[in-house]
Amino acid sequence: MKSSRIPPFRVLPVLGLCLSFIAGNLLAQQGPRVGPVLTAPAAPAPEAAAAPAVTVVDVPPPESVQTDLSEIEFDAIVRVEVDTKQPNYRVPWNVGGMGSGNGTGFLVGPNRFVTNAHVVSDSRLIYIKKVNDPKPYQARVLFVAHDCDLAMLELESDIDFETGFKDVQPLFIGGTPKLNTTVIAVGYPIGGDRISVTRGIVSRIDFRAYSHSGVDNHLAIQIDAAINPGNSGGPVLQNNQVVGVAFQGYSGDVAQNTGYMIPVPVIERFLKDVEDGSYDHYVDMATSVLNILNPAQRRALGLPNDDIGVMVADPDAAGSAGGVLKTKDVLLSIDGHPIASDGFIEIDDERVDLNEIIERKFAGDTVDLEIWRDGAREEVTITLKRFIPYLIQAVQYDKQPNFVLFAGLQFQPLDRNMMAAHNITDLNTRYFYSFFAQDEIYRERPQVIVLTEVLPDSTNTHLQSFVHRVIDSINGKKITLLQDVHDALHGDFHEDGNEEFHVIRLEGETRPLVLKREDSLLAHERILAQYNVSSDHFIERPEILELEGLIKLEEDAAADDAGKPAEDSAEADKKESVKTPEPAKKAA
Amino acid sequence: MSPFSLSLPLIAVAAVFALLAPAAAAQESSPANSLVRVNATLQDYSFLRPWEKGAPTPRRGLGAVLEGNRVLITAEMCVNSTFLELEHPSSGARIAAKITGIDYEANLAVLEPADSNSRVFEGLRPLEIEDSVKSGETLNVWQVEDNGDGVSTDVEVLRVDVGRYFIPGSVFLLYQVKGSLQARVNSFTLPVVKNGKLVGMLLSYSSKEQTAGVLPSPVIKAFLADLDDGDYKGFPNLGIGFAQTLDETFREFTGIQNQEGGIFVREMAKGGSADKAGIKEGDVIFSIAGQPIDSRGNYTHPAYGKLSFSHLVRGGAKVGEKIKLDLIREKKPMTVEVELTRKMATDYLIDPYMFDRGPKYLIFGGLIFQELTLPYLESWGKEWTTRAPFKLVHANANPHPLEEEGREKLVFLSNVLKTPSTLGYEGINSVVVTNVNGTFIKNIKDLAAAFSAVPADGLHTIEFDDYPKVIYVDDRASRLINQQLIQYGISQLERLE
Repeated sequence: MKSSRIPPFRVLPVLGLCLSFIAGNLLAQQGPRVGPVLTAPAAPAPEAAAAPAVTVVDVPPPESVQTDLSEIEFDAIVRVEVDTKQPNYRVPWNVGGMGSGNGTGFLVGPNRFVTNAHVVSDSRLIYIKKVNDPKPYQARVLFVAHDCDLAMLELESDIDFETGFKDVQPLFIGGTPKLNTTVIAVGYPIGGDRISVTRGIVSRIDFRAYSHSGVDNHLAIQIDAAINPGNSGGPVLQNNQVVGVAFQGYSGDVAQNTGYMIPVPVIERFLKDVEDGSYDHYVDMATSVLNILNPAQRRALGLPNDDIGVMVADPDAAGSAGGVLKTKDVLLSIDGHPIASDGFIEIDDERVDLNEIIERKFAGDTVDLEIWRDGAREEVTITLKRFIPYLIQAVQYDKQPNFVLFAGLQFQPLDRNMMAAHNITDLNTRYFYSFFAQDEIYRERPQVIVLTEVLPDSTNTHLQSFVHRVIDSINGKKITLLQDVHDALHGDFHEDGNEEFHVIRLEGETRPLVLKREDSLLAHERILAQYNVSSDHFIERPEILELEGLIKLEEDAAADDAGKPAEDSAEADKKESVKTPEPAKKAA
Repeated sequence: MSPFSLSLPLIAVAAVFALLAPAAAAQESSPANSLVRVNATLQDYSFLRPWEKGAPTPRRGLGAVLEGNRVLITAEMCVNSTFLELEHPSSGARIAAKITGIDYEANLAVLEPADSNSRVFEGLRPLEIEDSVKSGETLNVWQVEDNGDGVSTDVEVLRVDVGRYFIPGSVFLLYQVKGSLQARVNSFTLPVVKNGKLVGMLLSYSSKEQTAGVLPSPVIKAFLADLDDGDYKGFPNLGIGFAQTLDETFREFTGIQNQEGGIFVREMAKGGSADKAGIKEGDVIFSIAGQPIDSRGNYTHPAYGKLSFSHLVRGGAKVGEKIKLDLIREKKPMTVEVELTRKMATDYLIDPYMFDRGPKYLIFGGLIFQELTLPYLESWGKEWTTRAPFKLVHANANPHPLEEEGREKLVFLSNVLKTPSTLGYEGINSVVVTNVNGTFIKNIKDLAAAFSAVPADGLHTIEFDDYPKVIYVDDRASRLINQQLIQYGISQLERLE
């Protein structure tokens, strides 16, 4: 079920390279994604083990589970040491805090290492170390998937790899282990410097929130082997094969002996996704459904009494099913799998959430649905894509905060990092944050721009009380992107009759903010010097603009006469590989 | 039994007589002879289970005895009261009381004994009301000890201001006082006097700061005068939200740089006095009832000095009176006459307060519908703006779009009791109802009417503005469930009035 509860503002403590300890119940409330939050919280299917999409490996029964460690290729299991630079969304022109930490990774192919995304997020320097080798090897991120907390690394130098890993065999990716079978987690957790092995069993296989992004849910496997900070990114093995990547757990005062690993279907999907040289993210139906357990509901929809079908409640316009599915449609089957009235389907004799079909697909893939609409069967095909509007509530990594500073007024686009950094509680602004996707705010405002700070100066001293409010227009120009703020203040825009003023109008506020043009230019330079501001704007093209058809922007012509700063950094970071954005340019 | 415990009451009684005798002789008001204890029993309504009331709680205060065996008390003392009682401060004679006048905005109530044949007022004399109080003066807060002895504590008036009593958004004249007060049994509200005459009622006391707010006699006098004519109208409201105009650049932008003072009208209460008179957002008001208003929204009161303009309306005029506003609209000066009205709590889409009645609700087959009120949201606790369902919190802050849709009240599905009729719907809560069986729902009565007409197929269609958008329930099954719910002890399936 989609929840209208406001998500927590705090960014989860992804402690450098430590395990991200999750705050379970808060997370389940968030995403607009089709996931376990979407259906009524029926008892989790304990055996919802999905077969891997790519390789199926028969896992032997528990009694034959390996206990001999001598066959494990410890040299393929590496310590990943990372120095990070965390962006500062409060003071966006600052470089940000430096930190460091470590996690674990493992070799999966020639110069290809897998680890967790949260191990290498916001990294500026990465070294990989082997268990019995003093040499640190410098590495870089090839691909990072923040939505499923996985990343792929390579050593910077091929020669390093040839010499250091010449005889090291990559680990073999196995399958999904059965409940109550033994697994061992290998890695470099706290408590010492040498490699560590812990043992446990598979406790549960279920859909879970992945805490790294704060908005994603995927299949996860719960194990009772100790998983501690530093285990992150390390392999969990059964019979010398990787059956998971250790990634998150509860702190001891919440629940005991519950560690989570990313299961093989998710790992395989990541590996397959990046085969073409870019990571294209998970796709999403972005449709909320209601189980059809109520007899009156079944009769009203004209359905036979066969316990089949779930009712479409609210398809997001920007999602894959937007324009195809409608409220009151009934989903009868998905890719030929009949959908039970509780939202479950059967794959390989296992009952799994219908969403598992979508989980295994890629951007551009299609899904065939049999639906019941107005009393008749129909077949529809949906082309799957990523649901971008939900990113506003996702924790951002590897990005430099975007902002515009003008005469002490600091403008930033609304997102989770910014909300947390400024601790924004303004009701109106919270509405834009919480309902950005659901109320399709992105159609009018692909970016919601907030006045996040006023650096006090004689020119703006009365404007302090308007911080944290959403900007509606500046100098007559509707603000739908951060670029608009820059254009409206630096370009040829003015309100008729108010030529000598900069006029900033806030959403839901009739008292406009006004600055004298001639004063504000002087004040601008003065404030930059006084507050040690290294750059007065940093603007990138937001990902949301990929939703071209749905967004109503003012004619792009307006941007042309306003100058070119947009093009400087307009290149979208499509691959989401870690790439330091170009340094911000100073305006004028 | 020891002799000590026997003799103690005797000593106490003796002491009371010793105190009373000289006071009566001097014919002067004192804590012991002009106050009565007021013992209230309050019982709040439940929002989670609107057919229930919570645990009864006691609240004890002191009332001021007025002419005609009436007792003045703060309205807060009587909120959702189930039983009110007056008690003689020393003799302990008690009698049940009834409310003969109450105004929750002004936080005042008048109580009278339910039976005139009572000893509660024996030996007591009514307090006169005095309304000349200035900053720096010393006032006395009156209390009564357990044994009936009077206690008078000096407090100093720090300033006279306009502030909130206890309903959010409702501000009145307030004395800020400083002094050290001790908690005693009947301390919820305490009369404040000067030279033996009533000047106010103590509202709140901060033991940390040693400051208190006093509801002052001008408000008390206006309240009593309004009650006297038998047709209580209450205190009027201008119904505007304003911004200060201290910002010189903003003054220039608005075209008022050559004027003195003025307030910028930011928002209008729909249907309020100013709205009806044609005041518009963006107007800059320079004077109200002939008094110039400064850039902060204050005028100069002859006795109290700088005071918020709202006192000109609340403290200086009555409902039905007309006052003149001088303003500048789009850089042109004009004068607008405003007839003052009072917007009642029930006139709002979402009632800002609700006392002495429970939430309006309707249960149908296990679905619990309610009309949204601010107290419903506040039932989430102090942090309700972050803890209550956000869509409802947002509706409260932005009612206009919902009013534009034609709603009189906001009807929502608050939660669902799991029954055979609501199977599969039990997780749904806090969603606003738009239509039932195709009829737009303006208030809870519309909802009751919609359910009372049975559609041809026997199925009711309930549409929401949010997930899950639409649900269906069977009419016969739901009615059967309704009967069972009564058997299970839900006393009442609806409260529509």
